[in-house]
Amino acid sequence: MNKLDNAERRRRSRVRAQLMERVQQGDADACRALLDDIGPSLTYFLRRRVADPHELEDVYQEVFMAIFKARHTYEPKRPFEPWLFAIARNIAADYARRRWSRARWEELVAEPPDQPAESSNTAAPELKTVLAKLPSDQREAFSMLKLDGLSLEAAAVRAGISVGALKVRAHRAYRALRRLIGE
Amino acid sequence: MSEASHLTHEDRHRALVERLTANVQPIRRIWPVGVRLGLWMVLEACVLAWVSAHTTNHFQEKLTQPAYAIEIVSFAAAAIISAALALRSAIPGRSLPASETALAAVLVLAGAMLVSVAEPMNTANRLGDFVRQGLPCAYSTGMFAVLPWLGLWWAVRRGTPMRSGLPGVLIGGAALSFSFAMMRVACPSDEPLHLLTWHLLPALILTVFSGLAGMVWLKLRSPSRDPA
Repeated sequence: MNKLDNAERRRRSRVRAQLMERVQQGDADACRALLDDIGPSLTYFLRRRVADPHELEDVYQEVFMAIFKARHTYEPKRPFEPWLFAIARNIAADYARRRWSRARWEELVAEPPDQPAESSNTAAPELKTVLAKLPSDQREAFSMLKLDGLSLEAAAVRAGISVGALKVRAHRAYRALRRLIGE
Repeated sequence: MSEASHLTHEDRHRALVERLTANVQPIRRIWPVGVRLGLWMVLEACVLAWVSAHTTNHFQEKLTQPAYAIEIVSFAAAAIISAALALRSAIPGRSLPASETALAAVLVLAGAMLVSVAEPMNTANRLGDFVRQGLPCAYSTGMFAVLPWLGLWWAVRRGTPMRSGLPGVLIGGAALSFSFAMMRVACPSDEPLHLLTWHLLPALILTVFSGLAGMVWLKLRSPSRDPA
């Protein structure tokens, strides 16, 4: 039984390697077949690392995009899975780091100050208030990139726009925020 | 509630696959590590040839001294191992064996030890002379590392580095170990204090800077985070 599993695993690995080779040659059908094939394995792999189902979706998207972006680094003579899961592991670790820093930031924001600010003129305006002044598309771009910690590509997919358009929105949001905070 | 929130995992997966599939184009596969390392070594050989042709140091005679030859070979070998590790670090799933990393470190340490003990240390030099003689060497150590560093940086950049800072340290370590070996050919001084202060120390400092540059660069190049 175990021998059979191993043989099946090896066969599957060979098929994936062949599909990846065809993806490198620009074969769209092979790309679709490969991404469909690795989907369940990746979901299983990421579920053990990302507890929140919504965040799991974001990380899953990021892994797919990273695989696509790094496809030129795959060497067909080598097994496919170590390459695939090294990328997935890296993205999951990156996500964990971002999550940790976001949690720290939220802790800092949630903690009420011991003393009210003496002068409201010198105190920085609350982020929420300032964000409310931004147009909704800019606010969304800023929140996804800076508060939710999404990558440009994942945020662009979520907003349903191109990465370039998202960059423009984010840039405008930063500029507006700088102006508003400087007021 | 937005429409997007009603989508199932399957729907999202399908949309993502279709989006990626629409952008599939033939790509040029990255050259194998061995080929890129070979090209880098050719570059090194060119720099070595240039240095050999322009130095006033009688290094051919010195090469008969075992300590001098071992120093150069140690640093050159450490450079090649570091370069191979740097190139490998940019390929997902390729491991960086601890034994090879340790070997590169041991070679550098052994070379540095030999530098320190092979000749008596001259501490009677006046500070002004020591600095005046040393500064051009520190400058040359940096300069000899520029081409190998840029070449290796470019070669690693073609890949997908997965660890923060490490490729930068390895690139710097490779370029500057090589540069140190070149300086042993270029500089006529064998005085340990001069070599440690004006050859080795700048190499170590620049390696740290290279690591920092790698951290910033890797952050931008990570597959999950595009530059904003």
